[in-house]
Amino acid sequence: MSTVSLTIDDQQVVATPGTNLVEAAKLAGVEVPHYCYHARLSVAGNCRMCLVSVGMPKRAPDGSFVRNAEGKPEIGYLPKLQIGCATTVAEGMVVKTRSPEVVKARQGVMEFLLINHPLDCPICDQAGECRLQEFATDYGRGESRFVELKVHKPKEVSLGPKVVLDNERCILCSRCERFMREVAKQDCLGFVKRGSKTELSCYPGNEPKTNYDLNIVDICPVGALTSRDFRFRMRPWFLKETRSVCPGCATGCNTTVWSRDREVFRLTPRDNDDVNQSWMCDYGRLNYRFINDPKRLRTPLLLTASQEQEPAAWDKALARTVSLLQGRDPQTIAIVGSARASTEELFLLRRLARKLGVTRLDSVMREAEGDGFLLSRDRNPNLRGATLMGIAAQPPGSRLNEIAEAIANGSVKVLFVLGEDVSRAGISSELLQTLEGLIVIDILPNATTAAAHVVLPGVSYAEKAGTFINERNRLQRFEAAVEPPGEARPEWMLLLGLLKALAEPGVASNFSELFRQLVAEFPELGVASFVQVGEQGVVLSAAAADAGPKSLPAPREGEHRAS
Amino acid sequence: MTFAPSIALQARIEKLISHYPRDRKRAAALWLCHLVQGEAGCLGTEQVEWIANQLDVPSIDIHELVSFYPMFSADSQGKFHLKVCRSISCSLAGCGRLVAALKEKLGIEVGETTADGLFHLSEFECLADCGAAPVAMVNDEHYGNLAPQSLLALIDELKAGDSKPALLPPLRKAHPKEKRLLLADLPEDAQPESLAAYRARGGYQALKKALGMTPAEVIDEVKKSGLRGRGGAGFPTGMKWSFVDKKSGKPVYLICNGDESEPGTFKDRVLLHQRPHLLLEGLAISAHAVGAHTAYIYVRGEFPKAVEILEGAIEQARANHLLGRDILGTGLDLEVYLHRGAGAYICGEETGLIESLEGKRAYPRIKPPFPAVSGLFACPTVVNNVETLCNIPMIIEQGGAWFSQLGVTGSTGTRMLCVSGRVKRPGYFEFEQGSLTLRELIFDVCGGLEEGRTLKGVIPGGTSMPILLPDQLDIRLDFDSIQKAGSLAGSGGIVVLDDQCDTVETTLNVAQFYAHESCGQCTPCREGTLWMEKVLHRIHRGRGRPEDVPLLLDIANNIDGKTICPLGEAAAWPVRALVTKYRAEFEQACAPGKAEQA
Repeated sequence: MSTVSLTIDDQQVVATPGTNLVEAAKLAGVEVPHYCYHARLSVAGNCRMCLVSVGMPKRAPDGSFVRNAEGKPEIGYLPKLQIGCATTVAEGMVVKTRSPEVVKARQGVMEFLLINHPLDCPICDQAGECRLQEFATDYGRGESRFVELKVHKPKEVSLGPKVVLDNERCILCSRCERFMREVAKQDCLGFVKRGSKTELSCYPGNEPKTNYDLNIVDICPVGALTSRDFRFRMRPWFLKETRSVCPGCATGCNTTVWSRDREVFRLTPRDNDDVNQSWMCDYGRLNYRFINDPKRLRTPLLLTASQEQEPAAWDKALARTVSLLQGRDPQTIAIVGSARASTEELFLLRRLARKLGVTRLDSVMREAEGDGFLLSRDRNPNLRGATLMGIAAQPPGSRLNEIAEAIANGSVKVLFVLGEDVSRAGISSELLQTLEGLIVIDILPNATTAAAHVVLPGVSYAEKAGTFINERNRLQRFEAAVEPPGEARPEWMLLLGLLKALAEPGVASNFSELFRQLVAEFPELGVASFVQVGEQGVVLSAAAADAGPKSLPAPREGEHRAS
Repeated sequence: MTFAPSIALQARIEKLISHYPRDRKRAAALWLCHLVQGEAGCLGTEQVEWIANQLDVPSIDIHELVSFYPMFSADSQGKFHLKVCRSISCSLAGCGRLVAALKEKLGIEVGETTADGLFHLSEFECLADCGAAPVAMVNDEHYGNLAPQSLLALIDELKAGDSKPALLPPLRKAHPKEKRLLLADLPEDAQPESLAAYRARGGYQALKKALGMTPAEVIDEVKKSGLRGRGGAGFPTGMKWSFVDKKSGKPVYLICNGDESEPGTFKDRVLLHQRPHLLLEGLAISAHAVGAHTAYIYVRGEFPKAVEILEGAIEQARANHLLGRDILGTGLDLEVYLHRGAGAYICGEETGLIESLEGKRAYPRIKPPFPAVSGLFACPTVVNNVETLCNIPMIIEQGGAWFSQLGVTGSTGTRMLCVSGRVKRPGYFEFEQGSLTLRELIFDVCGGLEEGRTLKGVIPGGTSMPILLPDQLDIRLDFDSIQKAGSLAGSGGIVVLDDQCDTVETTLNVAQFYAHESCGQCTPCREGTLWMEKVLHRIHRGRGRPEDVPLLLDIANNIDGKTICPLGEAAAWPVRALVTKYRAEFEQACAPGKAEQA
């Protein structure tokens, strides 16, 4: 039997064998409240919040169902309530999650959880996203019956460099302990003392120190574990949630960007079974402060006759860009496009190269040690996209030396850079100074922007929509969470403007159209629209996954010299 | 500074580690904690790290044991650690006076050490010698029937290096109503029965017979006997054995639960200290039945002498081919190892015991899976109580049918009962099940109450079982009769309360025990037990409020049936029963205005 039928709160549910009742109830749209249960961790069964009433059809000695007067099977309920997280579905099972008995049990558990819990919600960082608060609304009492002294425990305990523990708020659900042992593979958390005095603890000198520690803050259902990075900076209810993808490496963990006004406050993982489960690494999670950096480029900059960069209006900056690119022998132009750029931007860069007839193109590799789990060795989020679009050389980065030499020997005179500080990729500042034209799109000043004739301020991934293709050929989308600073524009937008200025025919007028053009040229992306990419992304068709990089097509007749 | 063990300790530790599977070295953690603490005087950072290193586990895995098991301590506990039992029977026998006398003499509070480092004073939960209440331990030595004066004299003797421990109270001559099978011919000097003596009265004949039978035949015989577990739940033993998954391809383990610690219960103490070979024979037969080649005897930490006695008995039995390899030339192998607990009541729960045997905090497991499918080291496991196992040899020798004729239907064989509290002659006894009434036990066998006292109630099966009232004295003492009366036979620990007992204080004492022993794993027990204790404490201090009576009942109801293991019920039932049955007393203690007056 590949499925099991059961009844949950009078609804018929079909589940796969082995499904527990918390998950099975979700199939019926029923929430079974819980604290310790987490779908990706072993079952601990300690919070007792998910108690439900479980019955099975009664059977006669011959194995047939005993039926009542109406002909329905009679149900024999287990004398004790069962925890949904540790009870698996069975054929014919009948589950009640809202009976008076169940509600009373939940109210009892809720009261027990709160008696020794400090009711310090006004100053608790978890307030607003606290499961105790949420279920207290459903199952809590109006007033406390507890008039005794609460148990006091250590507060503000350091659990390694990133996490702070308040033991009085801890409800001992053991999610963090299980996560560190089962997922982060550092057996470092444990419980000391016992009974109501039990405390979460780590051994001095063996604090959590993995690249995944902050996940325990996410999964802590209460305010016991807080992130040193985020705590006390903003109330969660003021934050806007935007679906995004981590740009930290080629894994492309699905994330939520939490922002208020123009500031990003934190990143958290978003569930995706095929990518990051429910987790993300701390390296990726803490990589957001650059978005709020006050040094962000806010206006286009043009190099003046006195060799100083001065702010300029967009039309002037684009005009200067066009003048630097147009009418040139394409062999004297080189393009470096970042594999951090979105697929759409790399697509537009591809069109720019084709328009100009430029064939010297490359991306910059970013490699560091991977961990075999979520942190990829490839620290570019879209190298697959840069390869597919023909921007990255094969192997990626292999033509950067050639470009540097071509600048040195004077054969390349204009360099167009999208989102890279090429001075750190083999094209030194000294070399950049020798160029007749250096056009740089970036978001923060660096040695390359400093040497540029034209600086066009782009935006971070959190300020625009786009897609990345991760290392497992999954096309994933991210959306704009915050407004860009100053006059900065999404790169796709300014590239569209540039192409239009270069009189490229059929330039899209908005993002949706751009995306449709992209998928029209690359049907292997497997979607017809940006919306279709969905919240979980799509895997590229096998052909695309298997195919090597597409080389740039030869410029069409008369096209290699933009007129 | 790192801990440096003596050569002897290092050798002992290596041997102990070899008693557990190579990839399960952590199981030796409790042993190592005991031994290292014995040598170093404490389990501080350097000791914890040394042990962790020996067992290839992170230090947190050892660190979290030290504060879980009451017998371990991160700080030095003085040269003499005075552990005064504070559980119900000792409380009824005036242990409070012992503690007061010690505090005065030594000039320290509970939990403190004298300035000279000689004495450390602790209150311990049940030391399982309730018939000799009040009792205390000094390090590993046990002392019963203490009075303030004798205890103070003991302090002087200890200083002078001369003290006389008493492991067991003397066994009285059998009462005519008794039927002694397990206790038959027990040496009166409270010494362990030797192998020779055991053999002289037919010992190990049953093992020989059993090894000639197939495991299925042995199980069948035990099923026929109707034997029910003597630990507390009364589950049929033969049926439990038949659940063992023998097809898993994994080794099967047999564990003897010698963690007797339910207040009022002290029956296994005598069997462990005086009947080592009876237990070993029962263990060997049972191992054959369930297909186990390794058996562990989990002995509660407060019985260090039993460990020594059993260690000697195992060596003797091995030397005589009664254990070890090729038992009695039959080709069957069974190694029996001892595992020492460290003072946690929760280890009496079989899955808590298994966790503890694996070297962890004794957090009971969620069932299913039951141990018969996945128990110790994730292998099929049977856990049987000491008394249960001691019944096995006679069942095999004389047949299940013979055994089933003893006692009454549903309660076959004999049962060890231990009586404590307010009776003239407390102690442990052995009766044919259902052969006498509670009234006969209290008034005939135990000599009744002290002059001028009247009976208030009787706890029939360890403190977790609901109390019975004086009008229920005529029930027969067997599983079903006690259940019909609204309680359970439990562990056989019978505690008698007379009219001088303060009900609130008694309830508080019981509640305090379960709050102290709650492992803290699951919410209702962790929070509810301590809450009940605090409410009772307040009522006892004279600050009760009328709403406290229904509150106590509600807390008990919110624990009952909601927890991972039966400790929830064990904590909820007695409070609910005491508050319900003596409600008037509670209402009086919580009368309006009471709190304001106090």
